[in-house]
Amino acid sequence: MDVDRAIQQSAEESGRRIRERLAARKVFAVNLISSPGSGKTTLIESAIDALRGKKRVSVIEGDIETDIDAARIRKHGVQAHQINTRSSCHIQPFLLLSALDRIDLDATDLLFVENVGNLVCPAEVPLGEDVRVVALSVTEGDEKPLKYPLVFKTSDILVITKTDLLPYVKFDPERVKAAARAVNPGMEIFEVSAQTGAGLPALLGRIEALCDRKNG
Amino acid sequence: MHELGIAADLLDIALSEAQKHGGGRITAVNLRVGVLRGIVPEHLRFLFGHVAKGTMAEDARLEIEEEPVRIECEACGPADAREFTLECPACGKPCGKVRGGDSLRITSIDIDD
Repeated sequence: MDVDRAIQQSAEESGRRIRERLAARKVFAVNLISSPGSGKTTLIESAIDALRGKKRVSVIEGDIETDIDAARIRKHGVQAHQINTRSSCHIQPFLLLSALDRIDLDATDLLFVENVGNLVCPAEVPLGEDVRVVALSVTEGDEKPLKYPLVFKTSDILVITKTDLLPYVKFDPERVKAAARAVNPGMEIFEVSAQTGAGLPALLGRIEALCDRKNG
Repeated sequence: MHELGIAADLLDIALSEAQKHGGGRITAVNLRVGVLRGIVPEHLRFLFGHVAKGTMAEDARLEIEEEPVRIECEACGPADAREFTLECPACGKPCGKVRGGDSLRITSIDIDD
């Protein structure tokens, strides 16, 4: 018998429920994906500080173990909840659904969901996000879009991080951009350094504009 | 090990579709899997066999049809590749556009009524 159904429909179903819940509370959600150590948490910290007074930011952190990241985020004076995925290498939608209960969504305009550091599985699992951002640091090497094409194909925005280290590593941003755009012609690409602040206004301005577009 | 979650979802869908059809043993699940998905067929078969134990899909075969990526070379035109690459299989030049290769679908299941 013919079926023709996408696999991971269960995840898509939970993703739909997350989207409905966020839409009802006018929350704009960013699913942030990268390898471990690319600077996801640092990017979120930069966003919190830059958007203070403009957007009420909340954060859900995903890690296999520890609440180190959520504690780090709370120091910036915003709501943060930590998901520990234990054996799972990505945030599963049902875990995010229950984590939403721990965040005051009425006091949130912009929700960052920091996925578990991994370029494989998070790419396969929609979390009901409005925008998917993949971060890649210059120390990881410029061949990543060739090795992990799916995450670059399914993300809306690519952020190349730690650009202040470019003089010290062999990393050609143009090679990354060409490979990412080959699989995803509409991808928006930003180059940033959280250390120097270079590129952050453009990236955060874009996220703020996308958030405004959804929530008026 | 991302194949484990996929195997579990695959089983759920196959069982629910078979149920809609009126039940019966599932003898084969036919899939279309794009090469960008990074799925190792042997892993998926092994894990599906594991999760399907004790269900109506216990003895089902997984028939995996591979979906290539289409490399669009400006000089040579489109060509299909079974591994992700940006290089044209004909002339070797890097191409600016690659399409498809991201399917992950059950196309049909075979049921022993």
